[in-house]
Amino acid sequence: MKKLPKQLISLQVNGYEYEVAVRPNRTLLEVLREDLRLTGTKEGCDDGSCGTCTVLLEGVPLRACLCLAVEAQGKEVTTIEGLAEGDQLHPIQRAFVDHGAIQCGYCSPGMILTAKALLDRNPAPTDLDIKLAISGNFCRCTGYNKIVQAIKMAGPNAAGGM
Amino acid sequence: MRLPDFEYCEPATLEEVLSILEGNQGNIRMLAGGTDLIPLMKYGLEVPSLIVSLKNVADLKGINLRDKEVFIGAMTSLADLGSSAIIRDNFPALHQAVEAVAAPPIWNVATIGGNICQNSRCLYYNQSKTWRLEKPSCLKAGGSVCLAVPKGKKCFSVYSGDLAPALIALRSTLSVHKKNQSRITPLQDVFSGNGLAPFTLAKDELVTGVILPLPGRGVGSSYVKMRVRSAVDYPLLSAAASVTLGGGRRIEKAALIFGAVGPTPIVVETDQLFAGSTIDLVNHDALREILRQGTQMVDNLALPGSYRRRMLPVVAQKAIQGALKSIAKRENR
Repeated sequence: MKKLPKQLISLQVNGYEYEVAVRPNRTLLEVLREDLRLTGTKEGCDDGSCGTCTVLLEGVPLRACLCLAVEAQGKEVTTIEGLAEGDQLHPIQRAFVDHGAIQCGYCSPGMILTAKALLDRNPAPTDLDIKLAISGNFCRCTGYNKIVQAIKMAGPNAAGGM
Repeated sequence: MRLPDFEYCEPATLEEVLSILEGNQGNIRMLAGGTDLIPLMKYGLEVPSLIVSLKNVADLKGINLRDKEVFIGAMTSLADLGSSAIIRDNFPALHQAVEAVAAPPIWNVATIGGNICQNSRCLYYNQSKTWRLEKPSCLKAGGSVCLAVPKGKKCFSVYSGDLAPALIALRSTLSVHKKNQSRITPLQDVFSGNGLAPFTLAKDELVTGVILPLPGRGVGSSYVKMRVRSAVDYPLLSAAASVTLGGGRRIEKAALIFGAVGPTPIVVETDQLFAGSTIDLVNHDALREILRQGTQMVDNLALPGSYRRRMLPVVAQKAIQGALKSIAKRENR
């Protein structure tokens, strides 16, 4: 079967502009990982339930596995790679490390980005606020308590920053 | 899992969308939030040749109060619905239903139109192609057997949307457009009762909005969702209730709608159960009898049909009590 032609799209990712040629059937997750080699964003369930593919689109959490790459054009995408500044971890990443909130690390990129979206909006969330915000991010290792603690501790340092 | 190839367009107006839809033989799909369509395509269950993205059609978005009703554009996101004071204050069942859907990141892209029009679900249907190769194709997937019910001759897939039961309880109507035509229809009328094709909507029609009449005094509503986890899961059973209190704080009218009980939400006639009584317990026996007729709960969700059937009066009870509580809350505002 003849494949449909690719189209040239422009994606804004972590402050950089990338031009990629993609067919409409490529998801944002695939393009980030395979075309842009930004493999920090993970594939888990691939159907929108687990949250490991979470990126921020205009600062708001998005399942990259459910988003067509062509739909993300013209909007700022933030992946986990966009948080640290060189060797300097983002305060939320630092808090996750310091509080034992990372075991296998697979849920961590999605979890940290979801946390960032929360803290940018609400720098002093209650435990309930945090649990609601991360209710769409599964973790099979930690039992979530350390993650909630880390996000709470990171709050005052992480507000509004990049 | 890779998506199959398809053509893609992003029309800017409703007119353009309706022109594209004209003559649709079923190979054109609308893309709203994508949370239902994209997984189905990854599983090889939907293979559209053309996807029409609705994201740029401004006419389809917005929550507008006009006269005695609220008009919600079909592309309004669940996040916008959840943060709307108009919805929270007047339609508690809808507010609760929105918060019961999936998880906050999904609310950012999911839409009211998409949530209503989601396909029905079954443990044996919503699986990848590889998984489904282990068994013969089920009825819904185009095969000749029901995998959930041995020797079953009809489809027992479950309509699992959270918003529809709440919207039906709130007496919602849908605005439906096709080229050069539009109509308004009660929401419950778009459900066919057939798991193979859950909607009566024509292939060239588009749901453009939801209309809710503003409630009068003494009216409350609530939505209750039963699931294993407190987020993400589809309902195993749900109930939406709307209650109108009359003089002497007696229940004048009540509507009870069940979700996840079969291929369509079930509207339960509640006059025998409540009329005239004060805030009272649900008549479990009467409810069980009524429900035995309308529900078709088999072992095709995470928990067995027998358990879910036993929970019907429990969930109904919670929904009625929630609706009554919401009346008090509204009056105290």
